[in-house]
Amino acid sequence: MKNNKPDLGRRRFLARSGITVAGVGIVSAGLLSATAWAARAVGEQGSATLMRMARDIYPHDRLEDKYYAAVLTPLAQQAEADADLRTLLQEGVAELDRRSRERFGKPFLDIAAEGDRVQILRAMEDGAFFQRLRGDLMMGIYNNPELWPRFGYGGSAWQHGGYINRGYNEIDWLVLS
Amino acid sequence: MTTKFDLNDDSLVVIIGSGAGGGTLANELAQKGIRSVVLEAGKRFTLDDIENDEWKMFGKISWLDKRYVEGPARLAKDFPNLPAWIVKGVGGATMHWAGVAMRFQEHEFKMKSTNGVVPGANVLDWPITLKELEPYYVKAEKKMGVCGTEATGMPFHGQSSHYKVVAEGARRIGAKCDQATLAINTQVRDGRPSCQVNGFCMQGCKIGAKWSTMYTEIPKAEATGNVEVRPQSMVLRIEHDKSGKVTGVLYADKDGNQQLQKARVVAVAGNSIESPRMLLNSASSMFPDGLANSSGQVGQNYMTHTTGGVYAEFEKPVHMYKSTVVPGIVHEWKDNDASRGHLAGYELEILHLGLPFMSAFLNPGKSGWGRELADSLANYDKMAGFWICGEDMPVESNNITLHPTEKDQYGLPVPVVYKTDHINDTRMRNHAYDRSTELFESIGATKVNYLPPYPASHNMGTNRMSEKARDGVVNKWGQSHDISNLFVSDGSQFTTSGTENPTLTIVALAIRQADYIADQMQRREI
Ligand SMILES: Cc1cc2nc3c(=O)[nH]c(=O)nc-3n(C[C@H](O)[C@H](O)[C@H](O)COP(=O)(O)OP(=O)(O)OC[C@H]3O[C@@H](n4cnc5c(N)ncnc54)[C@H](O)[C@@H]3O)c2cc1C
Ligand code: SF4
Repeated sequence: MKNNKPDLGRRRFLARSGITVAGVGIVSAGLLSATAWAARAVGEQGSATLMRMARDIYPHDRLEDKYYAAVLTPLAQQAEADADLRTLLQEGVAELDRRSRERFGKPFLDIAAEGDRVQILRAMEDGAFFQRLRGDLMMGIYNNPELWPRFGYGGSAWQHGGYINRGYNEIDWLVLS
Repeated sequence: MTTKFDLNDDSLVVIIGSGAGGGTLANELAQKGIRSVVLEAGKRFTLDDIENDEWKMFGKISWLDKRYVEGPARLAKDFPNLPAWIVKGVGGATMHWAGVAMRFQEHEFKMKSTNGVVPGANVLDWPITLKELEPYYVKAEKKMGVCGTEATGMPFHGQSSHYKVVAEGARRIGAKCDQATLAINTQVRDGRPSCQVNGFCMQGCKIGAKWSTMYTEIPKAEATGNVEVRPQSMVLRIEHDKSGKVTGVLYADKDGNQQLQKARVVAVAGNSIESPRMLLNSASSMFPDGLANSSGQVGQNYMTHTTGGVYAEFEKPVHMYKSTVVPGIVHEWKDNDASRGHLAGYELEILHLGLPFMSAFLNPGKSGWGRELADSLANYDKMAGFWICGEDMPVESNNITLHPTEKDQYGLPVPVVYKTDHINDTRMRNHAYDRSTELFESIGATKVNYLPPYPASHNMGTNRMSEKARDGVVNKWGQSHDISNLFVSDGSQFTTSGTENPTLTIVALAIRQADYIADQMQRREI
């Protein structure tokens, strides 16, 4: 398949930069509910925890859960077949909750303040569990053509004849004093 | 395309690498009737392979063989196995390059005479002057089609929105800013179309408006019948005879079989990590420290330019991606003025990244996440920014060495790249961050982000030119001081890095070197 090669390269780049990736899920494909998507791999509570964590890693309040779920779903699906990954996720969630209880007396999901949750996550950011999620999310959010218009990024342009006749020189707010 | 030379033909020039240096040399020699084989480690790509997609192109054409980065710089932590962002493929890094083509300034050939001894740096004058190189700069600008120059008469691209924002900021703080002289067509020229502003110059130009040896020098060279390009041919070592002359090149072909191509002359042009690595890997009982290394300078003085990024956020959209990647240059601080607190100069090159790369480079590494970063990325369409490109100091301990135990897929020791700032580099970068901030704040930036250097796109200096054999690896023709039929034809020849992007100078040197090689062959000196 034509898409395999670039994916491999991307994976290698990220491996070299200390993070790993999974492919970008197709968002529009019928999705499980936000909490059910990873239940089989990490349980209901676990999947809700991962969703919270995902939204704390790259918080875009205006982006719907489905875009984060589109990253987490394939990860969870892969974990069903891959025991190491399953362990990484299960132990990661357990560790997150353990630290949250120790520091704030409640599981991660119940910590109300973003700043408090970030404190817990920062302390875990060097670990494989955190970096796996971060890498997948970076590709899933910022390298997702479906989301580019939401960020005001144009993506592939050559098939539209570039911007030479599509406003490359337009800007209306510069007051030339 | 169909020329085939015999492995035992010892009348050939063997050129290693098909990028800016090697591709140009092959064509220049071919036009003079000199026959060569170009051994290129990477595949041959076509315009059909080029996509407007940052990660896909990165995955497709980058040099991803194992490498290590060492040193205290942040790069070693963020990208421990990716010291450089360069290409493995016919055309080399001229596929990825942004097309910025500027000549060196006169004083940049004489940094030692200009500034005296710089403590902690290994500064040296080039054995050539701007005056000697000028006619070759003109030839290079014509060959590559550099817009905005007298040599081509091609106009500039026109001011993109990204350019306009920066130019206005520059005007307000009294800094010089001009459109960039780019080796990108603004008119149909040399059988290639005019730029349509796709904005993906660094992913390979889909329409071929930007000069790349991939579809200019290489096919032109092949059309003469004097050149055979062998893609997927990874050079392992260069062989020599008892008299110390090089005689041939051992390489692994696409099926992994070793082949020995005989040669009359060998020209090394594998970019500044691989070129010294090849010379070091060619060590023999006669040359125990590697070929052409009597000075001990092979692999030393590795330079990447003093770099970094600055991206400002505004209240209203800029749409920086609707532009050639580099639409202009703020060149107020390109001179050598010690009163700024640093020696040598820098340019602020207006440059955009797409959203995918911005997410990876805005705050690279493990801690690059969280609300602040996400908020900045949410402002992607309201960003404008620079890539800082300044002269970095040659430092002997910045170098390429061979890993003592680890081997790559070809069985060669993995290269270890050590690079860290000289204090002058740090001061220069901080100066550039400060001036950029002033510029952007003058037009209402709400936030200014400073990006650390990313994997090096400019790599120089590891086989440097010197007047005296004891100070460097090659003479003013790129001919090795030690072995008369061994040449270096890429950016590793640079004595110092200059402020300007390297490729125009690499091409000018290759054109000049071709004249010299032709002359020396005719006189039977080599
Ligand atoms: C993203 C990016 C943007 C850039 N923008 C600019 C710009 O705007 N202006 C500018 O001046 N420069 C720019 N550059 C730098 C420019 O691309 C390089 O300076 C130039 O291509 C270097 O030429 P070279 O001949 O030294 O090496 P390359 O062009 O890299 O060619 C080296 C070739 O040798 C091959 N090779 C290496 N080892 C072996 C081996 N053992 N056997 C066989 N083949 C081998 C490689 O596969 C490669 O094809 C940019 C680079 C990048 C990556
Ligand atoms: S902006 Fe011009 S040169 Fe760059 S990729 Fe597009 S068409 Fe090619």
